Amino acid sequence: MSKKNCYVCNKQGLSRKEIGLTKKLLDENATRFYCIDCLAEYLEVDKEFLLDKIEEFKEQGCTMF
Amino acid sequence: MIYVDNAATTKLSSSVLDKVLPFMADEYGNPSSLYSIGVKAKRAIDVARNQIAIAIGASPNEILFTSGGSESNNWVFQSIKDCYHNQPLHIITTEIEHHSVLNICHELSKNGVEITFIPVNRNGQVSPVAIENALKPHTRLVSVMFANNEIGAIQPILEIGNILKERQVLFHTDAVQAVGHLPLNVSNLNINFLTASAHKFNGIMGVGFLFKRANIKFQPLILGGSQEQNNRAGTENVPGIVAMGHALEESMSILDTEYQRLRKMTELTIEGLKSKISGIRVNGCSDRLPGLINIGFDGILGESLMHMLDLKGICVSTSAACTAGENKISHVLRAIGLSEECARASIRISFGRYNTFEEVEMIVNAICSAYAKIKGISHQII
Repeated sequence: MSKKNCYVCNKQGLSRKEIGLTKKLLDENATRFYCIDCLAEYLEVDKEFLLDKIEEFKEQGCTMF
Repeated sequence: MIYVDNAATTKLSSSVLDKVLPFMADEYGNPSSLYSIGVKAKRAIDVARNQIAIAIGASPNEILFTSGGSESNNWVFQSIKDCYHNQPLHIITTEIEHHSVLNICHELSKNGVEITFIPVNRNGQVSPVAIENALKPHTRLVSVMFANNEIGAIQPILEIGNILKERQVLFHTDAVQAVGHLPLNVSNLNINFLTASAHKFNGIMGVGFLFKRANIKFQPLILGGSQEQNNRAGTENVPGIVAMGHALEESMSILDTEYQRLRKMTELTIEGLKSKISGIRVNGCSDRLPGLINIGFDGILGESLMHMLDLKGICVSTSAACTAGENKISHVLRAIGLSEECARASIRISFGRYNTFEEVEMIVNAICSAYAKIKGISHQII
């Protein structure tokens, strides 16, 4: 699988969590992805909040992360 | 936080909490005990039984306390199976029932019970004629939910009850979403069994009741002591039962005004969303629970929208979610004819007693904003 870059800041090699969060919150078929910082800014929430959400999704059994 | 998932559960009424706290502190007697503190607990249960009986037009001895909706539903089906052991048995239900009905039906069918699942129309309503046409000489039970938990569709319970009374077939309704929210009288409706759950009407989780009409042959689900007139063993959940009695009494006292208020909230929500987002559709029909709307959007996932709203502190529900790597699509939305794509593009908003009109506007704005973010477009041009 090719490495994904952030659509906004062009951060190289987004993590599985960052890719998963874009898919989970915006579009499961997303072709453009956000790093955690840019996604937090786009959604107008704290980065820590998104990190907590990732843990919640993992606890729910979501395999995207 | 704005909580608009009242079809999932409701906030405990504060006045009910005040009435329950003594039974969680000093009044902790076992209702089966013969000394004063036990007698007090027994009396408190009797008061609750009476409150509930009055609320649904039953006699107190027709109210059996359970752990909630799933137990009540399972109990009815298991009892019918036990009562007709070694005899041909046919049960009719619908495709849109709660899983506590659908799954016990699937289980019984593995053990030789014939089950017919009646489909619903695009509004999510079952036809009484379809029920009547499905009746067989060995049909012993028909189970139709009072109002659906996902789209709120209210079923023609009166018409079905009249048919079944004439045909002498027992009638069960899962009224978990209806009790405390819709006018309901078991006597007028020819219902033999009715399921309810306290936490859907501002009571406590883990407690519910089953209305069982007097003189119907019935088998216990749980064996042990002689509680609940020898029908259900186990020490009673006294705080939960006390809360349920007061919660239902309170809900009934404000039912008419709440009905109108919640109806207005759902209307304003639909109007607000339709004025700002194109392609909005309301799943189901207008004959639905007053506070519940299931809304479909174009080109986004309901699950994404639900999570986006959660980020903003707004709790709604989705009928299709990815859990444990599985994509579960609502059987209800599929039953009313929605494609998998449309079913996955839907959310449920269910207003309750503690929601305000100010929150309606905030919810509409938050949905529009989240929708725009998901679509990657400006909020102004949606």
